[in-house]
Amino acid sequence: MMFKVRYFAYFKEKVGADTGYIELDEPHSVNNLRKEISNLHQIDEEKILIAVNGSFADLNRVLKSDDELAIFPPVSGG
Amino acid sequence: MIKVTEDNFDVEKVLSTLKTDEVGCLVNFIGVVRGVSNGVAIQRMDIEVYPEMAEKQLQIIKDEAVEKFGVNEVVIIHRFGSLRLGDNIILIAVASGHRKEAFPACQYVIDEIKKRVPIWKKEYTSTSEQWVEVA
Repeated sequence: MMFKVRYFAYFKEKVGADTGYIELDEPHSVNNLRKEISNLHQIDEEKILIAVNGSFADLNRVLKSDDELAIFPPVSGG
Repeated sequence: MIKVTEDNFDVEKVLSTLKTDEVGCLVNFIGVVRGVSNGVAIQRMDIEVYPEMAEKQLQIIKDEAVEKFGVNEVVIIHRFGSLRLGDNIILIAVASGHRKEAFPACQYVIDEIKKRVPIWKKEYTSTSEQWVEVA
């Protein structure tokens, strides 16, 4: 299944766009999405944060096609 | 009040909105753009934000601080965009009856922001640019 994602900060630069699509095999979990991004961009999984519908999500959460997904690095605000 | 904005803030103006009969102290934190990072001179800073989520997370942190420490009100304003040295980045203002609960509440808010609000800083030197990583 294809999932639309938003990219922020380092990932936006790396991908060269603020949105994109990622094809995910089952299970369509946050954990699987993180592994896929890790493989695609050669980045350690712990340096990849994923938000679902504007909130941090449990790694076991199953994604739906209309979820708003955001991919970003550890935060550094404040 | 929770705000994520490109605009600067007027500290005095914000503080004046927090003074009520019950408030005996205002504890504030103001983060500014530093001119040196790890011994290297910084020329400017960009701040990127995931606005919808950042506002949601800031509201959660604010509610936690009020609940946990029993303070009257918390204002958080975080800027984004292109900032120069010395520019304000963030204002946290905690209004409370007494200082005892206000100081730890303010500390709690800034510590939690650094852990879980989707905002990222990028520093520019004369020769390079780098996303800030929090240890």
